[in-house]
Amino acid sequence: MKTIPLKAKFNEIAVCVEAAPLVLETAHATKGIDLDVTVPAGRVVEAARIMDEAQFMIEAITGVDWMADKQLEIVYDFTHVDSGERVAIRARVPRDTPELPTISDIYPGANWHERETHDFFGIIFTGHPELIPLLLPEDARFHPLRKDFKA
Amino acid sequence: MEQQVEVPPGLIHFTLLDDILNLARANSLWPMTFGLACCAIEMMATGASRFDMARFGCEVFRPSPRQCDLMIVCGTISRKMAPAVVTLYDQMPEPKWVLAMGNCAISGGPFKFPGQYGIVEGADKLFPVDVYVPGCPPRPEALIEGILKLEEKLTGRRRFPVVEAQ
Amino acid sequence: MSIDAQSVLNETFVLNLGPQHPATHGVLRIKLTMDGEYIMDADPVIGYGHRMHEKMGENRTYAKFLPNTGRMDYVAALFNGHGYVGAVERLAGLVVPERAEYIRVITSELNRISSHLLWVGAFLVDLGGFTPLLYCFDDREQILDLLESVTGARLTFCYYRFGGVSNDIDDDFVAGTRKFIASLRSRMPMYDAFVTKNIIFRKRVEGLGAISAETCRKYGATGPVIRGSGVAYDVRKAEPYSVYSKFNFDVPVYTQCDCMARYLVRIAEMGESMRIIEQALDTLPAGPVMAEKVPRTLKPAKGDCYFNVESARGSFGVRVVSDGSENAYRLKLRSPCFSNMSLFRECSRGMLLPDALALLGSLDLVIPDIDR
Repeated sequence: MKTIPLKAKFNEIAVCVEAAPLVLETAHATKGIDLDVTVPAGRVVEAARIMDEAQFMIEAITGVDWMADKQLEIVYDFTHVDSGERVAIRARVPRDTPELPTISDIYPGANWHERETHDFFGIIFTGHPELIPLLLPEDARFHPLRKDFKA
Repeated sequence: MEQQVEVPPGLIHFTLLDDILNLARANSLWPMTFGLACCAIEMMATGASRFDMARFGCEVFRPSPRQCDLMIVCGTISRKMAPAVVTLYDQMPEPKWVLAMGNCAISGGPFKFPGQYGIVEGADKLFPVDVYVPGCPPRPEALIEGILKLEEKLTGRRRFPVVEAQ
Repeated sequence: MSIDAQSVLNETFVLNLGPQHPATHGVLRIKLTMDGEYIMDADPVIGYGHRMHEKMGENRTYAKFLPNTGRMDYVAALFNGHGYVGAVERLAGLVVPERAEYIRVITSELNRISSHLLWVGAFLVDLGGFTPLLYCFDDREQILDLLESVTGARLTFCYYRFGGVSNDIDDDFVAGTRKFIASLRSRMPMYDAFVTKNIIFRKRVEGLGAISAETCRKYGATGPVIRGSGVAYDVRKAEPYSVYSKFNFDVPVYTQCDCMARYLVRIAEMGESMRIIEQALDTLPAGPVMAEKVPRTLKPAKGDCYFNVESARGSFGVRVVSDGSENAYRLKLRSPCFSNMSLFRECSRGMLLPDALALLGSLDLVIPDIDR
């Protein structure tokens, strides 16, 4: 198991609920992931560095719009190519000021995933080299996967 | 809608010459190698070994619009792609024909829904279309039937008997 | 050498490739900064086939989204269906009958062979050889006949349902599949002699378009791309889904990292797929093909889950977030082509333009799968 030594590292940076860090071991057979970590938005770079040191591969970055909570969730999916274990790292940002740092200098593949997430949710990844529309037209100023989007 | 420019009909017609030219055109349509989505694979299948569009003189796929006279719009036209498709159409020399292959090129197909922002609902919103071939995607036989329909439009008569449903 | 457009000594120019270009397999556009024939920078511009499947997943019921899965990666449509129904089944806790899982494996692997055959033909057309395409399509049509007899479609299959498959296979299908495997086996030496051992082809692709294993990890490239770089990562082995753990098959790996390695991986994978299909046909259990008591409108409990399948192009992942209603709250589709394409900018730097197009072809891209 590659994820067991990672737990201790994530415990230091994860968000705490009632003094317990949100680092959950989940059953792969029912959730599809082995470790579910929630970190503060400012510490996703540290989390990505832990993943990089453990030789994990970046799978995807995506967002979820929790409009009722006035929050946007960003989910990073990582896979290990030898063991097939998966780690999901989550972070939440307020819906009005959706900003968090980029991880594209650690994982260059995150560049496109972050641009896509910016397209769909309007999340601003600070420090990203070229945060311009990827899938939407060049002049697009709308974010279609936000729940209040109207065409 | 933009105002369409009316092209005045020619003053002099060479009836017999026009007929002969149209017969020649109908029997050697040059389509453009131009795939937009799923239907492009069925267009490739139509050109390849089993269905063999060469039987109808329609196999010379050209990547350059300047060498084509038939544009097969096969797939969804996104708003981002629409200017490029119009440019391609404008670059084709006259006389030219357009065949809308598949539901996306006819009306937006399955991707037309409330809240859709990214597609053009049919190729005929951009330029005139001669033949519509429905299906998602149409079978190669349907595309061949569409080509035969276009030939019929050009020459005024049908080359092969219509296959009736059993 | 620095790439500076303002420099007086700079003699680079910008070349626009696409969105309509025969080598880009659809509607991909690449902004190339060229120094003569050499690529200084290649910036892919994607989104020309963007149809917003993910939004459609949110505003219709789970079952109504099923036809969409066939229209993302339409060359290997069954894998997308498998990923989607797998994720929803995992979330709703549905158990699929064993016979249905076997049928899923058989049809998926047939689809993998047809996808690889199409790739072999298209890749060789990219390199300037037209004839193999006709042979590949000849074999591919036989697979489409078989799949059409059970799914009802030639290309955009919508065959898998939550809890099983829509249609049982019959003896004709089993016999036809065995016959097809025998005929493709007899054709493989021909492909081997005329393509794999062709000196012109070998000189063209050997040592071309190197992609290191580290690059694959950093960009998330999977499928034949990572296996051509010496990493034996295959979702079917790493986290066995469906009934893949019951079959005996190898993961072909080549360590040369070049276009030839990716070609050889796909050729070897066709053989492995045929092995899997034969084993599945031999041990096909009897029984129902649909789970009992699947509700008409599925309402999975609140929560989210992730499900991955090994598509013909790599790891296809689906993340479903449910809020307990009959529509998905969020549906993320992780397409393998998206990640495979993103490494093109780094790997094409310094290559000759025709070589870069060979690299592009070897990645096996389906553009509407990138754009979704």
